[in-house]
Amino acid sequence: MLIQIIATIFIILIIFPSLYSYLKRENLTLFGFLIWVLFWILAIVIIWNPGIIVFIGNTLGVERSIDALIYIAIILLLFSTMSGRIKINHCNREITELVREYATNNVKKPTQNESEKE
Amino acid sequence: MNTNKKVFIVLPSYLESKVIGKVIRDIKKEGFKNIIVVDDGSKDDTYKIARSENVYVTKHLINRGKGAATQTGLDISRELGADITVTMDSDGQHNPKYIKSLIKPILEDKADVTIGARLENREDMPLSRRVMNVIANVITWIFFGVYVRDSQSGFRAYSKKSLEKVYTYMDRYEFESEMLGAIKGANLKLVEVPIEVIYTEHSKNKYKNNPKTISQGLINGISMFVRLLENSIFK
Repeated sequence: MLIQIIATIFIILIIFPSLYSYLKRENLTLFGFLIWVLFWILAIVIIWNPGIIVFIGNTLGVERSIDALIYIAIILLLFSTMSGRIKINHCNREITELVREYATNNVKKPTQNESEKE
Repeated sequence: MNTNKKVFIVLPSYLESKVIGKVIRDIKKEGFKNIIVVDDGSKDDTYKIARSENVYVTKHLINRGKGAATQTGLDISRELGADITVTMDSDGQHNPKYIKSLIKPILEDKADVTIGARLENREDMPLSRRVMNVIANVITWIFFGVYVRDSQSGFRAYSKKSLEKVYTYMDRYEFESEMLGAIKGANLKLVEVPIEVIYTEHSKNKYKNNPKTISQGLINGISMFVRLLENSIFK
């Protein structure tokens, strides 16, 4: 029970505000924000209803259910991956903007004016 | 072609030192002198050779992909006051004789954007690219609701009006599909013009070691799908 409360609090107090912050800073689209929110809501549902995992496990033929530590590790890893992807994508956009702006401002013109109307 | 319209040709280039000079000269032979070469961070002499051909040249300090280089070229063309901008690949696969066919529908006000669709002599196209094209056409339709016969063709012509309305953000090959979505979003008239492609050994082997394999086409298609999906989530 304690571990479920901690995981839920972590998602509500850390992950949701982070997602909202990404949205406000325009690092996420509204669609992306809603997808991630839905994903983490699903995570909360599974945390409070581990029977779902057991059911899925049984359906898939996995006999031993995963312990709480692995749940938390997976949640942290997923969160870390999600944040990483968002930051990498944002950095990529900024690098491209910088490179393109430099190129646009440093165009070498033809030495002889061959420009003409076709 | 006698017209008082100012036509600019944009050539996004990466590692094209072997062919860029000839490509530029061939375009000039067709009567088009306003050429913009965007060297996308090549480590070879692409930039130097393009400079020696007496055209507009700029350089990305690091490689950012064909999409980024094309958008840079389109921006420069717009700033230079182009009435029509044509984008072409720099590896020599696009025959400059089709430039006139591409700009004709725009001059006649029948289109805002034209795409040179590689529909002729397709047997010369590497198998991996044919597979990739089929996948890319379907993916473009799924993501942007636009179905064209050659969604990945980089041989396109844009009217001045269209360049003021569309803009792409994707760096790599997916930008061709993204551009189609932007064209649809801006309610611009799009026309496909059949063209013939020239696949030299250089263009066939430029990026991949084994262009004949279907699996490479599948991998490229999957990569494109993932990047478009990411683009719909991340800004």
